[in-house]
Amino acid sequence: MSQRRVAITGLGLVSPFGGDLADFFARLLAGESAVRFLRTDDLPRPLNMPFVACPGFDAGTTLGRPLAGMLDRFAQLGVAAAFAAWDDAGLPRKPEIDERDNWGVTWGSALGGVLAFDKGYRDLWQNGRERLSPLSIVLGMNNAANAQISIQLGLGGISTCHSVACASSAIAIGEAFRLVRSGEAPVMLAGGSEAPQAYAVARAWEALRVMASADQASAPHCCRPFAVGRNGMVLGEGGAALVLEDWERAVARGARIHGELAGYGTTCDHHHLVRPAVAGQVRAIRSALVDARLTLADIDYVNAHGTATPEGDPVEIAALREVFGSAAAALPVSATKSMHGHLLGAAGALEAIITVLALREGAIPPTAHLDSLDPACAGVDHITAGRHSQPLRAALSSSFAFGGSNAVLAFRAVAGQP
Amino acid sequence: MDSLNLIREFLDGRMGVPPQQVVPAASLADLGVDSLLMLELVFECEDRFGVTLDKNLKSPKTVGELVALVDRLRREQG
Repeated sequence: MSQRRVAITGLGLVSPFGGDLADFFARLLAGESAVRFLRTDDLPRPLNMPFVACPGFDAGTTLGRPLAGMLDRFAQLGVAAAFAAWDDAGLPRKPEIDERDNWGVTWGSALGGVLAFDKGYRDLWQNGRERLSPLSIVLGMNNAANAQISIQLGLGGISTCHSVACASSAIAIGEAFRLVRSGEAPVMLAGGSEAPQAYAVARAWEALRVMASADQASAPHCCRPFAVGRNGMVLGEGGAALVLEDWERAVARGARIHGELAGYGTTCDHHHLVRPAVAGQVRAIRSALVDARLTLADIDYVNAHGTATPEGDPVEIAALREVFGSAAAALPVSATKSMHGHLLGAAGALEAIITVLALREGAIPPTAHLDSLDPACAGVDHITAGRHSQPLRAALSSSFAFGGSNAVLAFRAVAGQP
Repeated sequence: MDSLNLIREFLDGRMGVPPQQVVPAASLADLGVDSLLMLELVFECEDRFGVTLDKNLKSPKTVGELVALVDRLRREQG
């Protein structure tokens, strides 16, 4: 079967800056941080941590109360992002004929509906209830978002949730890409969503000692990938979705094409659960480049995984140095998690959208707060302030997960598209 | 609170169903009550009225049938 080109015809997100793509990207270009301080009233020890929330998102208003009530927040964020991407692609919510039997959805979430289970534990152990809501299972299950997206949009093909820690939605997008490219599915919706602010989950991340520490005042500036003295990541909630479509089909229906998903590489370090390895990342980057038939010289931007952990950032830069060799020094790289936080399973999808927007707009968002570069992270062109009027041809978006799973997506700009 | 008003309150809060539509003759399915929502509604009635509905009971089709069922259980078990 001949390989087809894969057009990105829809982008949708629920972000801390809202759902407007242009506004979202403009804020990132300006280096605006969405990180705030989260304080809860839990006893005996409340949560006090930097966090990125989506305060403007009201599920009942966006999805309607009947649907919102059937979903945990992670799935609410996901279904809303999926609807936004679908609308952006100019596709009707409900099919008029049975054309969608082989259209599908691949989703990514590291945690699934943890807030539903968090509420269950509180009801049982804190509130003295003897039983739980009968919806607890369908709210909490990891495939709740993709299941509801399939139902709502009438997608009769594959409907899966990839749970691969921080690479979940990058892998979901990559797997959807393969289905469209092979001709198995003419249209796929791919993305991810996460709402990790469940009490025990947040405390578990805290125990791992990879979280940035901050107070109310310093929270907006506390996530500093590649910087000297960086002290970790910031969790965030949100949802992001892309519509991937057979290129010829997209052109035939006159769809706006945001960009081309050209390649996908996924590997495993097979090394350690939480210590990343250069070799595994190198293989993933090279695999994506080969898959996309792109050369090193074609890559004008890398949206890095860049979580701001002391251990992870130098490994990622070392991998880029190894792949790009003498060209690495001029390779533009930024880690936008410094502004929108780490969405865990949804990170890959959100950063894929940012990468596509960078190519489309010819502009590169910065790594915010990178005032003083850690020498261990040197060797690439770190973007520390938004760069405008860049003629970008192709770009990579990297996601490197706990467990050693790596996923790299390669995108091409589309000439003549707004 | 009587059973009818409890059902009205639940469907309004959960689904946004206008209370004036929740009348005894109304079909629960037409109001948007599917099997999962029926489970929620049954739980709500049990919690609020301290009754227990038989797991194997035939699912009521109308608001009036559900009200009659819950009222009977309240008399028997209350």
